[in-house]
Amino acid sequence: MNGRTLKALVPLVVVAAVAVLPLLITDRFLLKVFTFAGINALVVVGLALLFGYTGQVSLGHAAFVGLGAYTCAVCTVRLGWPWPLAFAASGALAALGGLALALPSLRLKGHYLAMATLGFGELMVLAFREAEPLTGGVDGFGGIPFPALGPLEVRSAGALYWLVWVVVGIALLAAYNVTSMRPGRAMRALHGSELGAQACGVDVVGVKVRTFVVSALLAGLAGALYASVVGFVSPSVFTLAASITFVAMAVLGGTGSLAGPIAAAVLLTLLQYLDALVPGIPRETAQTIQTYQEDIYGLAIVLVVIFAPGGLASFWRRRGRGGELS
Amino acid sequence: MSLLQVRNVTKRFGGLTAVDDVSFDVFEGTIKALIGPNGAGKTTLFNALTGFDRPDQGSVLFDDTELVGRRPRDTVRAGVARTFQNTQLFDGMTAGENVMVGKQVHQRRGFSAAMLRLPASLAEDREAREEAGRLLRLIGIEEWVDTPAGDLPAGIRRLVEIARALATGPRLLLLDEPAAGLNATEARELVQTLFRVRDGGITVVIVEHHMGLVMDVSDEIVVLDRGSKIAEGPPRMIQKDPAVIAAYLGGETDDDA
Repeated sequence: MNGRTLKALVPLVVVAAVAVLPLLITDRFLLKVFTFAGINALVVVGLALLFGYTGQVSLGHAAFVGLGAYTCAVCTVRLGWPWPLAFAASGALAALGGLALALPSLRLKGHYLAMATLGFGELMVLAFREAEPLTGGVDGFGGIPFPALGPLEVRSAGALYWLVWVVVGIALLAAYNVTSMRPGRAMRALHGSELGAQACGVDVVGVKVRTFVVSALLAGLAGALYASVVGFVSPSVFTLAASITFVAMAVLGGTGSLAGPIAAAVLLTLLQYLDALVPGIPRETAQTIQTYQEDIYGLAIVLVVIFAPGGLASFWRRRGRGGELS
Repeated sequence: MSLLQVRNVTKRFGGLTAVDDVSFDVFEGTIKALIGPNGAGKTTLFNALTGFDRPDQGSVLFDDTELVGRRPRDTVRAGVARTFQNTQLFDGMTAGENVMVGKQVHQRRGFSAAMLRLPASLAEDREAREEAGRLLRLIGIEEWVDTPAGDLPAGIRRLVEIARALATGPRLLLLDEPAAGLNATEARELVQTLFRVRDGGITVVIVEHHMGLVMDVSDEIVVLDRGSKIAEGPPRMIQKDPAVIAAYLGGETDDDA
């Protein structure tokens, strides 16, 4: 078997492993952790497009997750919509929010998007907290039903896991198609040289705005999944800290890659539940790690930027090029 | 026929007049050179012609459409392509992919078509890949097609940028110092390439310091000094023009007195 066949097998093996995981794991809590990893991975696919391919930074993606989560909650509980419709509405509203934010801030040169998203994130948390009649305020919004596809309710831990990862798979496939074709080349081009991209007639603002909207859409869908899996949402989940975590995943995963950020999303999610995953770990060690979690992320970002700008993706990319999924 | 009419173009930066009331014509199917000492305003003029900078006064007519006030993207669409003095390649992408980006200005399939892998999107991809291969062969650098642009030697980078500009399907190609960083052999090859480009029906304007190359390729030369046009004509006349010699050798002129 030559290297190329081997390389083609890697995605298949990974997909198979992700698919059979619920059959191997009986612990429901552990399965839920891997479900959360999938939800985070969905957000990070969008951020990988935005940060890793287009070179734009968002410090407020948790707000889009929140927007999706609350939209799903309101649509299912208050309006009584069927779940698929609520799910779609969550993505659509987040995308709309992304468009409203990206259009004005991306017309300006410089890092206005990062600033705008930072402000937007804080504003949305405030809105989730204060719009009590709609969101339940600081007490949160409970009683959100499980996902249901027609008469089929998805409620077992394994089924929820599969639902989430199927959505991740579809998003990944769509993102891979985008990056390997015309829009993806435009994204990488403007990241490489904005002047050069303009000289090639690339619609620089348009491509940035579209990428941002796609990333907001995926974040909104992830939020809807989160709300439906947990059944309860509260403003504290969608704060700046969560946004930074998503950025850390994207940075750690590496630029110009989709698989790297997904791997980083899974790894950093597992880190949050270290005590549940490693049975022998002393309680205090796990607690210390969780206390300093934010600092660990910050440190990880700094170390990656200084020593391994290619992130996780660069580890397997070094063994020969090609394989755009890497 | 005059493909490009530059009329009274003036660009000021604060108190400095970088380009001062410059007018000239570029005729279809010719190669025109823009020369002058450093700081003469050549690159500023290029930026004004391609939408990267807006002149304070004047007009730029390309095939009877006004280019002043248009964005770079619209000048590319109108048929004006350019390269940069500091090459602006996309370093993370291969030489071939760089050229493919040039092709996409006249393609239309966007995000949704790509996501779904629609046949039209795949067809455009194939078309871009074939065009990139063709252009790299035309320029004579097809062996670099899969090399990341960041790993290319300086001379090859300039040629890839020319291929990328050609991929936009221009009628007018503006080259900003294409011979900088090339050795003597590469410079000779560039001359042949420029002739091939011109014979393919593309009008060329080059900014260049390499005088041998300028004299070899250009049908006409415009000389700028401190923002103003001081001479214009065929190479032989320019070589003998006292004002040009004075500008290059730093001779005495009236305003120094």
